[in-house]
Amino acid sequence: MATSKTVSLTFPSSQRGLRWRPDRVQRFLMQDRALGYLFLLPAILVIVGLVAYPFAHAIVMTFQAKTAGAPGRFIGLDNYRELFDSEQFLRTVFNTVVYTAVGVGIKFLLGLSMALVLNQERFCNNLFRSFLLVPWAIPTVMSALNWRWIFDDSSGLINNVLVRLNLIDEAISWLSNPHLAMFSVIVVVVWQGTPFFTMSFLAGLQAIPKELYEAAEIDGASVLQQFSNITLPRLRPIFITAVMLSAILTSAAIQFVLVLTNGGPADRTMIFSVLAYHLALGGAQRLGMGAAVSLVFFPILVVFIVFLTRRMLREKGE
Amino acid sequence: MAPRMTTQRRVFKGLGNGVLVLMLLWTAIPFYWMIATSLKHDKEIYGYEATLIPERPTLANYATVFRETPYMLFLRNSVVVAVGSTVLSMVIACLGAYAIARLTFPGRALLARGLVFTYLVPTSLLFIPMFALMSVLRLTDSLHGLIIAYLGFDVPFCTWLLMGYFKSVPVELEEAARVDGCNRVSALVRVVLPMSLPALVVVTFFSFTHAWNEFLYAHVFTSTTSARTVTTGLVNFMSQDVFFWGPLMASTVMSALPPVLMFLVFQRWVVKGLTLGGVKG
Repeated sequence: MATSKTVSLTFPSSQRGLRWRPDRVQRFLMQDRALGYLFLLPAILVIVGLVAYPFAHAIVMTFQAKTAGAPGRFIGLDNYRELFDSEQFLRTVFNTVVYTAVGVGIKFLLGLSMALVLNQERFCNNLFRSFLLVPWAIPTVMSALNWRWIFDDSSGLINNVLVRLNLIDEAISWLSNPHLAMFSVIVVVVWQGTPFFTMSFLAGLQAIPKELYEAAEIDGASVLQQFSNITLPRLRPIFITAVMLSAILTSAAIQFVLVLTNGGPADRTMIFSVLAYHLALGGAQRLGMGAAVSLVFFPILVVFIVFLTRRMLREKGE
Repeated sequence: MAPRMTTQRRVFKGLGNGVLVLMLLWTAIPFYWMIATSLKHDKEIYGYEATLIPERPTLANYATVFRETPYMLFLRNSVVVAVGSTVLSMVIACLGAYAIARLTFPGRALLARGLVFTYLVPTSLLFIPMFALMSVLRLTDSLHGLIIAYLGFDVPFCTWLLMGYFKSVPVELEEAARVDGCNRVSALVRVVLPMSLPALVVVTFFSFTHAWNEFLYAHVFTSTTSARTVTTGLVNFMSQDVFFWGPLMASTVMSALPPVLMFLVFQRWVVKGLTLGGVKG
């Protein structure tokens, strides 16, 4: 590096510095460049072929009447017009927002409490931590199947226990009662997703220097004051990243609803990914309509995605 | 001042213990129900004689799963897809991450940005065009198709994680190796990779469990038993007219075991990797 600086200083700026560098350096740089592209070629192919191209194709499809295997016919904005005229779609928008906001909100609060509790010192704490994180490691479909059985009308765990305790006379239809279905689905989302927040927050808590708390203690700050003046501000960056990431993934997670309620009863748990799935791969195979549903939600997601991309790159010093 | 502090500490400690017990129950009860059901006879599962604790535990449900369902086939398919996509994404990601971390070329920053961006785009936005693409390429109903499709998630994520780690390997070590006659490829294999072992473990864990747990693509791209993986196979059991919770819970327990064991073994690294990159929430 030192040599190249001297070179560009010594020679007039009209002459390109590169030409005056020793041959070896130039060859090295050229090699670097070629090798860089060569090494990245497979990754670029994957990104273009499996993300960028399908995404572009999705946009095109939304303007088409298209079924699987057949070429699409251009129909302009008809898909979008039909969507915004349909009550089902408007209900889906509402449901998706509720499902995501409530789900992420509860996961956040529970995750924070879990992290605070696990950050205390106690006997066997590592064991408890490992155990509390296990729901995250279980395949989400398996959790959803298990919970569907827990919610089962006649023989599920919850109704079983409630009947035994004489709290109810008749079984409660957790998943098919229009007023309860969304609540039940969110319970499962929370059970599966809380450990993610716990893990993130616990890592954040452990990174806060102990000296800060010791100093606050000497100054006579109460535990609650320490929490609001040290813990919360220090965790803020992790809060933002975790919430955004979880919002993207929760809103897009399809398996819970698909396994538990399939969008019913009467569309009460219909969220956008499930509606897209039904339109595109249900009986009529309207790929264009399905793609349009996803695409309508993309602008909201993209705000989160761009914001997160920036944050994550900054954290890595890119 | 001091006594107030200790009382306060004690109160919060007690509160913490209480909350911990509740959290442990909340986490444990669904597991308990899943395992208990898998060990019960039908009589204890349904109807008036239903029990909360299996009175006469049996492995009959597990036997049923292996004898009467194509579960073994699903298991084999899951292993093939998980291993295949993990190996491929590892190779692609190691090369890509090395290029971004160590080589200078125009467009490097843009590519780094593109990687994070693609990793954050959820599959539920892509499955419809991907289904169309797979149909055209005749890759539906095939394990190859799934392996390829999973690269779309695994490669950006693994490259992203490895990139950060490769940067932390001292350049001097690599330069020394290069003076000794190593070229870029052998420097990567002999110096950078061995020093990045923890990151490689994390990346392997994530791509393996991702393939094992993935549901949407597997569900959409397969329509026959031959290419079903565990996740979509089990959901398909459920959507058939006749399904029994006993065998279904038995197969759920077995399917959940590999990722859970992997998680418990690699937990320390996984949590670290998670805070670096962040995955499913």
